[in-house]
Amino acid sequence: MEVTMDPMFLAWSYFRRRKLQQCSDICTKILQENPYDQAAWSLKTRALTEMVYIDEIEVDQEGIAEMMLDESSIAQVARPGTSLRLPGTSQGGGPTQAVRPMTQSGRPITGFVRPSTQSGRPGTMEQAIKTPRTASTARPVTSASGRHIRLGTASMLTNPEGPFINLSRLNLAKYSQKPNLSRTLFEYIFHHENDVKNALDLAAQATEHAQFKDWWWKVQLGKCYYRLGLYREAEKQFRSALNHQEVVDTYLYLAKVYQRLDQPITALNLFKQGLDHFPGEVTLLTGIARIHEEMNNISSATEYYKDVLKQDNTHVEAIACIGSNHFYTDQPEIALRFYRRLLQMGVYNCQLYNNLGLCCFYAQQYDMTLSSFERALTLVANDEEQADVWYNIGHVAVGIGDLTLAYQCFKLALAFNNDHAEAYNNLAVLELRKGRIEQAKAFLQTAESLAPHMYEPHFNLSILSEKIGDLQSSYTAAQKSEDSFPEHVDTQQLLRQLRQHFSVL
Amino acid sequence: MSLFKARDWWSAALGEGEEFDQGCLCVGDVDNSGSGHDKVVVGSYMGMLRIFAPHANKSSEGVPVEAQLLEVQLQNAIIQVEIGKFVSCSELLHLAVLHPRKLSVYSVSGTAGNVEHGDQYQLKLVYEHSLQRTACSMTYGTFGGVTGHHSLCIQSMDGMLMFFEQDSYSFGRFLPGFLLPGPLVYNHRTDSFLTVSSARQLESYKYETLAVATDAENRQDPDLPLKTGGKRLTPDWTFVLGEQALDLCVPTFSHSCASIFVLGERNLYCFRDNGQIRFMKKLEFNPSCFLPYTTVMDGTTNLLLCNHTNMLLVYQDVTLKWAAQLSCVPVAVRVANFPELKGVVVTLSSDGHLLCSYMGTDPSFFSTPKVDAREADYEQVDTEMKKLQKFIREATRTQDILPKTDAEEDLIITAAVSSSMDSPSQALIPDLDGLPVPSVTVQLTVKASCVMQSSKLTVGVQPPLAVTQDQFVLEPMGFGASVVVEFSAFLNGRYPPADLTGDVTVSYSSPTGVPRVHQSRFSLPLALICVPSSPNKNTRFKISVDTNQPPVDLASVFPEFTADSEDKDGNGLAFQFLSGGKVSVQASKTSQRYRLQSDSFEDIWLVVKELIRRFDDHFHKLGVKDFKKSFSGPVPLQDYFLSVDHHFQLRVSAQQYQDLLSERAVQFRAIQRRLLTRFKDKTPAPLQNLDTLLDATYSQVIALAEAAEENRVQLEEAFVRLRSATHLLVLLLSLWQGLNPEQTAILEATLLPLLQDTPQLGWEESCDAAVSHLLRTCLSRSQKDQATSLAQTGSPVLGLPQDTSRLKKHITLMCERIGKGGRLSLAAEANVQVPAQVQNLAAPGGVEPISESAGDQEELALPQEAAKFIKKKQASKKVKKDKEKKEVSPEASVKEEGAEEVKKEKKESSKEKKESKKESSKEEGKKESRKESSSSSSKEKKESSKEKKDKDKEASKEAGGDKKVSRKSSVKVKEKKKEPEAGDG
Repeated sequence: MEVTMDPMFLAWSYFRRRKLQQCSDICTKILQENPYDQAAWSLKTRALTEMVYIDEIEVDQEGIAEMMLDESSIAQVARPGTSLRLPGTSQGGGPTQAVRPMTQSGRPITGFVRPSTQSGRPGTMEQAIKTPRTASTARPVTSASGRHIRLGTASMLTNPEGPFINLSRLNLAKYSQKPNLSRTLFEYIFHHENDVKNALDLAAQATEHAQFKDWWWKVQLGKCYYRLGLYREAEKQFRSALNHQEVVDTYLYLAKVYQRLDQPITALNLFKQGLDHFPGEVTLLTGIARIHEEMNNISSATEYYKDVLKQDNTHVEAIACIGSNHFYTDQPEIALRFYRRLLQMGVYNCQLYNNLGLCCFYAQQYDMTLSSFERALTLVANDEEQADVWYNIGHVAVGIGDLTLAYQCFKLALAFNNDHAEAYNNLAVLELRKGRIEQAKAFLQTAESLAPHMYEPHFNLSILSEKIGDLQSSYTAAQKSEDSFPEHVDTQQLLRQLRQHFSVL
Repeated sequence: MSLFKARDWWSAALGEGEEFDQGCLCVGDVDNSGSGHDKVVVGSYMGMLRIFAPHANKSSEGVPVEAQLLEVQLQNAIIQVEIGKFVSCSELLHLAVLHPRKLSVYSVSGTAGNVEHGDQYQLKLVYEHSLQRTACSMTYGTFGGVTGHHSLCIQSMDGMLMFFEQDSYSFGRFLPGFLLPGPLVYNHRTDSFLTVSSARQLESYKYETLAVATDAENRQDPDLPLKTGGKRLTPDWTFVLGEQALDLCVPTFSHSCASIFVLGERNLYCFRDNGQIRFMKKLEFNPSCFLPYTTVMDGTTNLLLCNHTNMLLVYQDVTLKWAAQLSCVPVAVRVANFPELKGVVVTLSSDGHLLCSYMGTDPSFFSTPKVDAREADYEQVDTEMKKLQKFIREATRTQDILPKTDAEEDLIITAAVSSSMDSPSQALIPDLDGLPVPSVTVQLTVKASCVMQSSKLTVGVQPPLAVTQDQFVLEPMGFGASVVVEFSAFLNGRYPPADLTGDVTVSYSSPTGVPRVHQSRFSLPLALICVPSSPNKNTRFKISVDTNQPPVDLASVFPEFTADSEDKDGNGLAFQFLSGGKVSVQASKTSQRYRLQSDSFEDIWLVVKELIRRFDDHFHKLGVKDFKKSFSGPVPLQDYFLSVDHHFQLRVSAQQYQDLLSERAVQFRAIQRRLLTRFKDKTPAPLQNLDTLLDATYSQVIALAEAAEENRVQLEEAFVRLRSATHLLVLLLSLWQGLNPEQTAILEATLLPLLQDTPQLGWEESCDAAVSHLLRTCLSRSQKDQATSLAQTGSPVLGLPQDTSRLKKHITLMCERIGKGGRLSLAAEANVQVPAQVQNLAAPGGVEPISESAGDQEELALPQEAAKFIKKKQASKKVKKDKEKKEVSPEASVKEEGAEEVKKEKKESSKEKKESKKESSKEEGKKESRKESSSSSSKEKKESSKEKKDKDKEASKEAGGDKKVSRKSSVKVKEKKKEPEAGDG
């Protein structure tokens, strides 16, 4: 039996169940009959926003322009331990670079890909172009709106006949007077249309209408300022919002501003202040852990990740980071347990199997190693991942002494991703063993140019040059190696030896 | 993401294609059985009302009929069901069912049946209200503090609250600023209603305030300002959430913590009754419904939270206690007590999946799919492996990442210089002293035997020659394609060039993106720069070239130059350079001698070169094998030195101009400064003719600059002439002493180290350095000299010399020594013999395969070959010395390349070898004693320890292989946390 229901109610119910498309369709129908139905209009706005909504806190893609033309830097030469730009030496006694690979900016590789994992300004334009900044692509975002442009086009797709709201014809002043419409409209403009200027306009008028007493509007103003790169203004707004009302989001936004301003210590203090108000808040704890990790203070980062797990033991990021930390501190068995836990929790992807395979190998559970890698290979999503998996298989092959296999694996890694500097380096070592000096040298030089932050190619090149008697290039390469890894004992020995040599001459 | 799944206790799929939402599930002892056990009431949007009494049933297939107490199809859609004491004068629980336009209250009663499975349940309508407005949700409670029974409040879609006290309608009120309905709940502690309005704030309205506010019936339009009577409805307190709420809940189970829970779209809030925030938690997923259910610890509340990633989460305040996987996204969750089991979680999904579950440690549903593990047939795998490896080996041999160095040419450039001059000349200077300047067309054919991309062709000729176009951008070429480019070359200056050859460079990239460069040369005809003329007998410079063949008719060798030379005997030719010089060639009738004469020394060069080339061709054509040319000397050094001096003079004057210019510039600036201070001065002072001085200095600077520029042009010309002269000298020297091509190359490199000279580094000093090096090494008078010379090097900084006398002396000396039979070779060791064994070691350039085995062998060999040890030591020293040289001077590296050739030669000349062998031991001893004062034993130790160190390093490199091979384990666990919906799954 057919039961008639009020379409507006149905749309509202659909929205609550997140059947957004159906909700939007019904609203469109209602609006066709009655274009001035504010409730339907508002509901459709919300549905459209919700379709593309991404938490602004997690969106952090710094474009090249922001990075290179940044004028808000505080100190060019910051004291060690106070800046994200100068990673400095490890303070927490974590594993050295020899054990744990570094990212381009000199930070240890983390266990979890998140936006701005590789934050920290690159020094030069060239480096900026080379630094991978997003999780999926190795190429940088060309401007602030890499993701945002995509969202903009999404808005066109949902409405083939044109945008749902024509922003240019909107009387923002009128809407800002209506608190029951303005917030929805703001979110639509900000998230769906991605028109920060109009959003800012609306927010400014609305906060005025609220007599500057509404913390929410201040946070939104701050978000707009942040998008526009006006960090100091954003900071002011967030601060003022916090004075009105302590909210977790505001703390996160403000900390984000401070991180962008390269004031990690302030951000840490802010997080701790936030924790006083919201004890055990997972996002705040995660924020602290991330900053510690970026500052190369691995042990405190791990402490905080453990705190996170005490609050939320299904937190994937924390498990992954602790796992990778255990892996790099020579406890593959424990790392294995963390990764297995992830697997049991239903994380089922290439990366996890890859890590499992490596852990198994180093924990001497050889039977599982290859099958893990096999699974990882069946699950790869793109060529970069495939290259990484093959690279690791090559590593295993080196470990068991099957150099032919290793050689082929590294070759495969390069076939899938010919920017894979580590594979070039290892291939060079293998070539060197075969006695093919020229090839080895070429590979090492390629690796060097692809990843100047890695010390291995420099060091290997230095050894190679020393062997063939080219002491000058050996010396320069050794110096480069020392630059990227000052504590490396072998490099220092080599340098000493070379200096002795030169002084004898 | 969870480790465990919720354990299924009882489940049912309700109806087909029916829809359910938040309000459609309700749990309670609806039939008043008194047992305290709950029944589950479910209403659907299709109007089906069902009541279940679930019990553990192992064999539940399809719809569990036994557990279903009642199923009724009602007329209208059911949007909410609630159980409460809704009937006056009755303590019994009744069922309130909300339809869009109607509210019905039913009583449910069961009568025990006689048969085994047959309790009978009935639904009886107690009362109903029809509604004026479309309802959207309702709440109930003891409004106004009445005890014993519950009142109902219905929220309509347009924001009116309608209050019903049992079967009577009490009043209706519009909520202010209403747009879309939010959750509505009654807080009995403060007797107020809570809702989250469209302004995204939590609002609390006192029941009293509502009661005395303007009656809704009086004002149809909620937006209109109120006109008469009643108070304006204002909330008791508000709190800005900034987000829409999904659900509100005021738990009643504990009075110790009076709190209000709000489930927002992104956060979970907990408020005190007065609107202060107790705590909040940011959610990293999209929640769907929640239920605070009990207090375990004092001051905390446990709550169930379901999200859109099929998870059921149990929180104690903000701490996650348990996470369980569900099979679908629930829209409503309740906790119920059943006869067999207490505290069962009842969830209802949007499509009617009713599930009663409890927490357990069943692993979650997720199990990894199997990789297609085939049964391995080892033989088959083996053969496949072999086949594949064959392919791989083949592939590594033919196509590698690095291009093979010995790959065949993938590009062929052929240059065709047209035999005749262009008919309208392309030259920029139409004529020089009445002689028209011709141009010649050069045709380049580029033939590719592989795919070429972004190729560019560059043509370079030596000044003062020029071409019409020196850069060509070629289209991408495929396999076997060829491209032809044409350009014209011509003389573009008033002096002859030093060389008539031109360079062609093609840069391109292979399909894989590897940039490659290919070079080729072509030579331009002599006719481009000179015209035939009549021989001239009386000239300043004369050069005679002897051959061992009968004289040839010059006219046959130079056909194009004989045309209008009406020479009587045909054995004389003259070349008139466009720039003015004239060179005559006379073939002697009797002897096999050719005489070249000219007014300028350097002009002869091009003609001699051409002559020799044509003679070579000529006799080659005739089939004469042992054609020899020679020059009887003496080498016309004085003539040569003239052009050296000329060049040097110009350099010196360039230097002078430079100094003068900087002096004037300083003066200019000084005057400017003075003027500026004068102009700046507040009290104007007379300029004292400073302006005139400034003008004068300015004109001086300009004049000097012009002169310097003129000098530079002259210098360029002089350098070209000098190069011509030097070429000639080299040619004469090689003809004179019959030097082989290698030696000629060395000589040429020595005398012509630069293609261009700069103010910083000119020809004189670099040539002097090279010549004196030759004099000290291979041309030195004694072996002793030669040995010592290795230790010292020339003056550290090359600079413009005072005069050319030293250079002249050196060149003269060099010519003398060459004349005395000195051999030019690069390897200083040419005469210092080295034991053969050592050579083997040194030959690969100190390149040892870095393998463990090799290292071991060496180590083993050490003690055994104690006798050979000294030799070995020498070897290492030798290598060191080589290195040393490399550090010291750039020439040495060139030398290094030549070393191998030298070694080849050495084998041939066994005589020399013997001699030097004798000497070598002596020398060795001397050297050691001189260089190192330490005793030989300590040296030995040093050597051996050094070797050991090397080996250790190798070993450590092997051992720590994986250390250096950078270990990069983690392609990180990637979780798309950016999108909340994909948050946890």
